[in-house]
Amino acid sequence: MDETQESGMDRRRFLTVLGVTGAGTAALSGCSTDRVQKLIPYMVQSEDQVPGIPTYYASTCTECASGCGLHVKTREARAIKLEGNPAHPVNAGKLCARGQAGLQSLYNPNRVRGPRKRLADGGFADTPWADGVAEVAARVSAAGGKVAVISGAGRGTFSDLLAAWTAAAGGTVVRYQPFDHEPMRAANQQVFGVNGLPSHDFASARMVVSFGADFLETWLTPIENQRGFAASHGYHDGTMSRLVALAPRMSLTGMNADEWFDIVPGAEAAIALSMAQVILAERSSAPPDAVALRGMLAAYAPDQIAQQSGLTADQIRLLAREFVSTEPSLAVAGGIGSQHAGAAQVCAAVNILNYVAGNVGKTVRFGADLEAGDGYAALAALQRRMDAGEIAVLVVHDANPVYALPKSAGFAAAMAKVPYKVSTALVLDETAALCDLILPQSHALERWDDLRPRAGIRSLMQPVMEPVYDTLPAGEVLLRVAKAAGGALAGLPSGTWDDYLKAQWQAFGRSRGAGDLASWWVGVLAEGGVYDAPPAPSAVRLAASAQQVSGQSPAFTGEGEFLFAPSASPMLYDGRGADKPWLLENPDPVTKITWQSWIEVHPETAAELDIREGEILRLVSASGSLEAPAYLYPGVRRDVVSAPLGYGHTNFGQYATGRGANALDLLAAPGDAAFLPYVSTRVTIEKTRRYQKVAKTEGSNRQLGRGIAEAMPLAAAARGLTPEEAHHEAAGGPAHEINTPRELEAIAGFAAAQKVAATKGNYVGDHPQWGMTIDLAKCTGCSACVTACYAENNIPTVGESEVLRGREMSWMRIERYYEGGHDGEPLETRFVPMLCQHCANAPCEPVCPVYAAYHTPDGLNGQVYNRCVGTRYCSNNCPFKVRYFNWFAYNKKAFPEPLHLQLNPDVTVRARGVMEKCTFCVQRIRGAQNEAALAHRPLRDGDVVTACAQACPSSAIIFGDRMDPESRVARSAADPRGYHVFEETNVRPSITYLAKVLHGAEA
Amino acid sequence: MRKLASVFGGTLLLTLAVAFLARDATASRQAAPVANDSLVAPTLTASDSAALKGPRQPIFFRHDIHAGQYKINCQYCHYSVSVSSEPGIPSMGTCMNCHLVIGGSDSSAQREIAKVRESYNSGTPVEWNRVYFLARYAHFPHMRHINALGPNACATCHGDVTRTPQVFKVNNVNNMGFCISCHLERNVSRDCSVCHY
Amino acid sequence: MSHAYTPSQTHAEVTRDVVATLGAPSRGYVMMLAGAVGLFLVGLFTFVMLLKEGLGLSGYSPPIMWSVYITTFVFWVGIGHAGTLISAILFLFRSQWRTAVYRATEAMTVFAVMTAGLFPIIHIGRQWIFYWLLPYPNQRYLWPNFKSPLLWDVFAISTYLTVSTTFLVVGLVPDIAAVRDQVSGWRKKLYAACSLGWTGSDNQWRHYTRGYLYLAALATPLVLSVHSVVSWDFAMSIIPGWHGTIFAPYFVAGAIYSGIGMVFTLLIPLRKLLRVEHMIVDYHFDNLAKLTLFTGSILFYAYAMEYFVAWYSGNTFEQVTFWRRAFGPMWWAGWSMIICNAFVSQLLWFRKIRVNLTALFVISIFINIGMWFERYVIIVSSLSNDYEPWAWGQLNPTWADWGILAGSFGWFGMYFLLFARTFPIIAIQEIKETIPFPRKRGGH
Repeated sequence: MDETQESGMDRRRFLTVLGVTGAGTAALSGCSTDRVQKLIPYMVQSEDQVPGIPTYYASTCTECASGCGLHVKTREARAIKLEGNPAHPVNAGKLCARGQAGLQSLYNPNRVRGPRKRLADGGFADTPWADGVAEVAARVSAAGGKVAVISGAGRGTFSDLLAAWTAAAGGTVVRYQPFDHEPMRAANQQVFGVNGLPSHDFASARMVVSFGADFLETWLTPIENQRGFAASHGYHDGTMSRLVALAPRMSLTGMNADEWFDIVPGAEAAIALSMAQVILAERSSAPPDAVALRGMLAAYAPDQIAQQSGLTADQIRLLAREFVSTEPSLAVAGGIGSQHAGAAQVCAAVNILNYVAGNVGKTVRFGADLEAGDGYAALAALQRRMDAGEIAVLVVHDANPVYALPKSAGFAAAMAKVPYKVSTALVLDETAALCDLILPQSHALERWDDLRPRAGIRSLMQPVMEPVYDTLPAGEVLLRVAKAAGGALAGLPSGTWDDYLKAQWQAFGRSRGAGDLASWWVGVLAEGGVYDAPPAPSAVRLAASAQQVSGQSPAFTGEGEFLFAPSASPMLYDGRGADKPWLLENPDPVTKITWQSWIEVHPETAAELDIREGEILRLVSASGSLEAPAYLYPGVRRDVVSAPLGYGHTNFGQYATGRGANALDLLAAPGDAAFLPYVSTRVTIEKTRRYQKVAKTEGSNRQLGRGIAEAMPLAAAARGLTPEEAHHEAAGGPAHEINTPRELEAIAGFAAAQKVAATKGNYVGDHPQWGMTIDLAKCTGCSACVTACYAENNIPTVGESEVLRGREMSWMRIERYYEGGHDGEPLETRFVPMLCQHCANAPCEPVCPVYAAYHTPDGLNGQVYNRCVGTRYCSNNCPFKVRYFNWFAYNKKAFPEPLHLQLNPDVTVRARGVMEKCTFCVQRIRGAQNEAALAHRPLRDGDVVTACAQACPSSAIIFGDRMDPESRVARSAADPRGYHVFEETNVRPSITYLAKVLHGAEA
Repeated sequence: MRKLASVFGGTLLLTLAVAFLARDATASRQAAPVANDSLVAPTLTASDSAALKGPRQPIFFRHDIHAGQYKINCQYCHYSVSVSSEPGIPSMGTCMNCHLVIGGSDSSAQREIAKVRESYNSGTPVEWNRVYFLARYAHFPHMRHINALGPNACATCHGDVTRTPQVFKVNNVNNMGFCISCHLERNVSRDCSVCHY
Repeated sequence: MSHAYTPSQTHAEVTRDVVATLGAPSRGYVMMLAGAVGLFLVGLFTFVMLLKEGLGLSGYSPPIMWSVYITTFVFWVGIGHAGTLISAILFLFRSQWRTAVYRATEAMTVFAVMTAGLFPIIHIGRQWIFYWLLPYPNQRYLWPNFKSPLLWDVFAISTYLTVSTTFLVVGLVPDIAAVRDQVSGWRKKLYAACSLGWTGSDNQWRHYTRGYLYLAALATPLVLSVHSVVSWDFAMSIIPGWHGTIFAPYFVAGAIYSGIGMVFTLLIPLRKLLRVEHMIVDYHFDNLAKLTLFTGSILFYAYAMEYFVAWYSGNTFEQVTFWRRAFGPMWWAGWSMIICNAFVSQLLWFRKIRVNLTALFVISIFINIGMWFERYVIIVSSLSNDYEPWAWGQLNPTWADWGILAGSFGWFGMYFLLFARTFPIIAIQEIKETIPFPRKRGGH
């Protein structure tokens, strides 16, 4: 009848594609027991996939080193969504945008589809697994110990096997992650004599000072940090913790800070030491051994370092006193965005600060032993050996050093000196492209594996579906090679990788004294791993070398009046996100730019240089140059320019290749530094006078006092005032009613009329009224909810050209409004998640000529896609502008094979020419209602959780039935901080926002 | 082009609409099957299936024999119909539960059953031809209907398969009117978002 | 010639001259027709592309969900109004000067509405199911939403098209008969058929004049109602800059203003093309110009009032919208609307200009442009900055927008030119009625 029938992939096509598997025949494709052995579903206690009913498997996320637990939602034996595993101690059921996008690396159309061998002409050709394995085996046994492995895999059974394998082959392993926090480990070694990473307790810290640690984005375990931060910094019972950020650039973390100081780059250490000095000078109860530091710290009295730091002496004193008086407090450092040559000293200084303030052991807990690799130094050493021709066989696994290191480091050249290179890459990346053989590994969701992200946590991965392509787990490859190579390698276990892993776990089970191993194993699979309580913090003392900590600010190479401070992208991370449309289209939380890289320039600097937004600038350093459009950002120092990391891939699939500029190109070769100093070079700005429209989703970044993102002082909130009252108190004068008496009369009359209308047809009787509250005091703008919405609702990614026309389809968007920033007053940022408000009195409904937009009995703004003819009046008439139109057949372009397998079969894939919008995840509501009906019970509060609420790491979103006074949503909507956006339009939204709460008045 | 045509043909459609309405009204649901104990399916061979209504299937599977003559419960094969929105297509294993031993009375039946065994042993599924195909933007939870109308309610939409040697489409389930008339009759929700989301 | 104008010809001459307009086409005419057809084909191609690829081809950029197409729709509906005003209302007012021009304007009405009628179909996302907008019994048990202004629109337009077409056809009958008596061969047969057996007997005249009168009375309210309904497409919404209570009168005045503008644009060249300069003279233009001046001044007042209300309401959303209308990114559109409509129309206070056809023609072009921009400003600039600042955006129209716009002019021009060559563009017997008695003897 119309295009909806042609629309890409959904429930029906799903079944067709899967053939009879839909009915759960084990012997066929999909989740078949004979190929991937016994799978224990987490919830549905059935080994078969029941068609139409999702099955959840517990697994572990590999998108960064955090090791968050996953729940993989599968339908008809296809993974369709990734959610957090509530039982997992790291992320407790939450998941960031990067983690959720892991699904798009599973179904990435650019994946290597089978073993490939380099030909003489430089191209690649398919080759059978057997040949590939045999070839590697031959090379390895011929290499005579000149074997090296670069592995980005986290610590776990695989890394153990890899170590054993390499040892047997007489080679060396370098475990390398680009963002590896080497400075922190060096600092811990220097100050406490501990070579490891502590855990940080943001939840109990009442005051956090971040010396450039972007702990909400890429620092250590972002989800865990955010959960803790939201818990303490979110307003409750009249209190909230306090965050101060010191960094030359305002990162997302800086935007969430109560105060952001754009300090002089490199001054972090001096400031930290200065604070420590103040504390020691003024506080009697400092740890005894800290007193010894007095002498060393004397040089850092606030007055001495005030000039060079960008802070006044008083500010430093105030900060120090506050820091020590609010217990417990927490200082963090070591973010990528301020990883300069002196980063280790900054972390060391911060260690001292924490120590003297008595936070070590409280909010900083050593002994947690967070996962970390061997660091850059080890890689550099290996590179030197490669250069020297001491490596005959190089195996690259889960790592892309050619991209992750500056070109000036010459890693590619070093690789050229290695006669034989093997890669296990999922996607043909820059490093794999230089290899002689590619043995693609199975994705984490297609294989057995595990991780030990920290002490006490063993997190399992299990295959949730058949491999999409002809791939094998890297462990399997190692074992096969060992078997084929013989010699010392023959000593390795002879079974398959799966046997090996099982054996390890059984041994582990026995060591824990598990009686019935089989049932123990079932339990472990159901839980997703074994999670022991975190070990008691190991007591640490100051090491002698703590005396050598210096606040010297590092030297920056190159001339040019601007310091180049690249920022770690919350979406692309170290660049591995660049091939995932979800992450490219999810706007950068700070700049709101999609699909492009950019150069941040302070507006005043821009005014001096006559730079307008979108002018393509060329940054030139001693080592190279890069070109990108300018973005005027008030959150960056006037003498600093910034660009995001992760863009500018030269070989990483259709989405990433050639997209944006690689910030690393500007950096000098780090030489034998212990880590890669991202902030190390000065640059000059060259204007090209060429312009390019910036693909950002922000229209106006000022809310013009329209009360969209409300905020109120802590004092007012504590006194239980409403935002309205708080405003009038601030402005003076009495609070006034929004509507005039005449208007109120009309409104009352209208409400009465609606009540009459609500006594007809389907509307008779009691229905739930679905509603939502969003706590702006908790929302950090991380945008995890955005990707969750894309994943749950089959939202198409439209690409750069369409975003440039403002046609992005994201049902849930995070609006970022600035306040202040003019004439001296500090720049304040407010985030508002904006989605369909499901107005009780919705302007979109009466204007639809065909009832495609209408009000459902349970209080939703229904949108019937197949009825919509596309007049678009509903969108015109929507004050919140949350309706999105299919200008083209996006559903045909956005999901190329096999990405279409990720589509949610319960949600219609919208055809072109129809309007779509947030439905409050109506498919989840109907699903829960069906379940309840089958169980002959009423819906309970919490039965329905929308995708955004489920994902939100801050738990800022609550969903439920507003009619049920006992429901969480009803209770939180009663909070005096609650308000509705555009109240004066009388549209009666179902979404209540809780005003952000600001420190300041009392600070 | 198809669209261009339909734009200008739209007006024509309009005039025909009334006729459509009349036709849909007459195409009403068939009566539920009368439980008749002496149901003996006619003897037919696969070659006859061409003459029968409905699409020919790779295997001449006889609902009238299985569900009619031998009174095998629908849910024995369509096992998930009462728990899931999908009725569930029987696995080849399900067929083999019986056809491990039952080889068929006449040569034609034997040939067909041989196909079943062959496909089971070779691990290649039989690709049945779909008879009922609900538009993708409409969600039909089978379990709700089975639980509301009882296990034999299948016939309400699918007709009396106990008497049909080869299944064919007895109701146009793509016509919303077909669903609505029933919902009106039983006074259950006609809210669009119950099915369309 | 300030006094009432009386034609200087005899009945015979009138008939002859008018019938002459139906003779062999001049080169100029053929070229204009070719041009019109060409434009129409451009529009047709664009529409096919829209069907094939999707509306995304045109420059829509959210939050601007309506742009050039709806602008052009309102533009053409507006054009239609002058016709009915002149032919029906002025007929009831027995204003003599309309006789020479009303046939042309009435034809213009019908074709303008025909053009406008296409846009609701062109602009929707799934054009192939446009008929869902119409109430018809269907197996889904579904009806359209009678609360939606868009539905009112459907009715308003279709009613207007029906009535104005009938009015035109009925008016034509005696003239077609007159032509019938002048021509021969197959054309005679054709006109004979169209003249519905008109003999001009007293009896026929008596019924005819009655019927015509009633039709005029029937058409008159439509002049006000149709564009009021169109204005409610906007006024019923909550968008700042749209939900004005003055929209109905404001739109009607604008419609008549633009309509007469179009009359100038069409008649001034046409009277030359068809060699009827001596029948449509500056006496008619003078009166038309006065009407233009009147409606133009109403517009002037409406514009002023819009800004005043925006300021006086104290509603920040309204205020920002109107501020940006004048000084925002779309200031150029805002000002060209005010200058072309409010200011240029004031030139017509001077009689010299009112009777100077060149000046009138230039002014009429300004009026057309200005009135198109008025709708563009109301629609696009209001949508580009409404409640939610984060969603604000700007419009960059593309070839697909201009293609359809051009096509609409082609489609209209095509029909109008064909009409002018096939049927008397000047009402023969109404002219005759204005000829003073004594002259009649000259005829036969």
